[in-house]
Amino acid sequence: MTDFSKMNRREFLGITGKAGLATLVASAAGVSFGMVQVAEAAGNSRLTPFRFAILTDAHLYDIPDHKFDGILKKAVDDVNNMNPLPDFVVYLGDIGQSGKRAELEKGKRILSKLKVPLKVIPGEHDWYLDMGQAWRDMFGSPTWSFDHKGVHFIGMNSILVRDFWTMKGLTPDERMGFMEELECHHCGLWGVREEQLEWLKKDVKKLKPDTPVVVFTHSPLWDYYPRWNFQTEDAPQIREILSGFERVMAFHGHVHQVVYNRIGNLSSIGTLSTSWPWPYPGIELPFPDIKMNRVDPGDILDGLGTQYIDLEKEFSGALHYDAWADLLPEGVKKGVKL
Amino acid sequence: MKSNIKSRLFTFTGTTVAIVSFAFLAIEPAQARKPFTQDELAAQYKDLMATVKEGDDLWHSAKLGKNGLACANCHPDAAASNPHTFPKWQANLGQVIPLRDMINWCIQVPLEGQALDANSKEMKALEAYSFYMHRGFKLKPGENTRQHPPVEVRSGAGYP
Repeated sequence: MTDFSKMNRREFLGITGKAGLATLVASAAGVSFGMVQVAEAAGNSRLTPFRFAILTDAHLYDIPDHKFDGILKKAVDDVNNMNPLPDFVVYLGDIGQSGKRAELEKGKRILSKLKVPLKVIPGEHDWYLDMGQAWRDMFGSPTWSFDHKGVHFIGMNSILVRDFWTMKGLTPDERMGFMEELECHHCGLWGVREEQLEWLKKDVKKLKPDTPVVVFTHSPLWDYYPRWNFQTEDAPQIREILSGFERVMAFHGHVHQVVYNRIGNLSSIGTLSTSWPWPYPGIELPFPDIKMNRVDPGDILDGLGTQYIDLEKEFSGALHYDAWADLLPEGVKKGVKL
Repeated sequence: MKSNIKSRLFTFTGTTVAIVSFAFLAIEPAQARKPFTQDELAAQYKDLMATVKEGDDLWHSAKLGKNGLACANCHPDAAASNPHTFPKWQANLGQVIPLRDMINWCIQVPLEGQALDANSKEMKALEAYSFYMHRGFKLKPGENTRQHPPVEVRSGAGYP
């Protein structure tokens, strides 16, 4: 399932090689999956500490030199300048706005400047024009897992809805138009659905209960605000399948905001976009201190940013939001413990 | 309306006029017109909802701007448009403004479009949608320290 494990050294260097100096940096830092396995075997801890970064929700339009292009480029530059560099980047969906191949191609082009490997899952904006055809052509399967430095990483497609378009006789453009609205009046709830639940069961079956598990989905794995699909309908089943593990960390896009929750053994955290921030819905947050400040609409970068996660050897760690304006309360600035 | 006029007359015009006005009221009943009939009320409501719907459509349309964005990109269900807090001092404009000026700012800056005529049908519709999604809220003119979620919407458009 892992693209990384299948990726040979030459392919890996092919990605980093585009950045020239980056190849040297990455090699010098020993960021190669082959070397890592040696280190892992030598130690007794659950994982070898490392960093990974998350970018998400660029919502690129098929319009030349659109302002969101520049914001995604800034995010890529920021990640490339992180010290230490993350071992890899995960992109949590919504590269495009209207599911157009040109939007996804533009995003892929910008993201190819990353000095480190990239894993991607889809969002609804990437998917509903051609039901994921262009996305799959470019990024492969939306369901994947890989092991890295002792951690089991899982990515799933959580934006699958029941068919609302056939009965209505909608064209692909109309279907996409409906799905583009956060408060879509016709689209229904998202989920990962039966096939991916079965895949997940098999994927984690052989793992020991103390294996560090990290899950990525576009939407949160808890019932945050269903009206805006700040939810995944079959999240309870996902949490049940993963309930045997000591700890699970879940990261999601879609909400364009700082939000955190913990249910059983699973901690879930939302991420900053590179397009626009979303206001909080009218519910009480489960962790009211973990939030972002009100955004200044006059500052194009306020509410946006990147994030990285530093994992420690006992599978603890924190998510650090790298906000581009004065967005974070003091408590959140220090990083959110996962 | 009638009672406002009456009190203004009292306060500003003086006793003589007040007496005349009372005399006038004594001849004409205080009622300016008959109460609206159920049919009339239904027709008015229908018109209001049509305006709200027009506003909803515009709110979700890229045609107000030039870069593909719509009001709804940042304000789903009109969230954080805070209509009940206007007029207020708006930091990005450096002055006290009504909601329509903020809507025009959003059209011109984030959406990179042309400002609407403040009295246009489109502006009235956008305002109607924003306000209707905050029906029942207390007026808080001047509040600029927090943003508000709209009325709770479980499904559909958020209005009848």
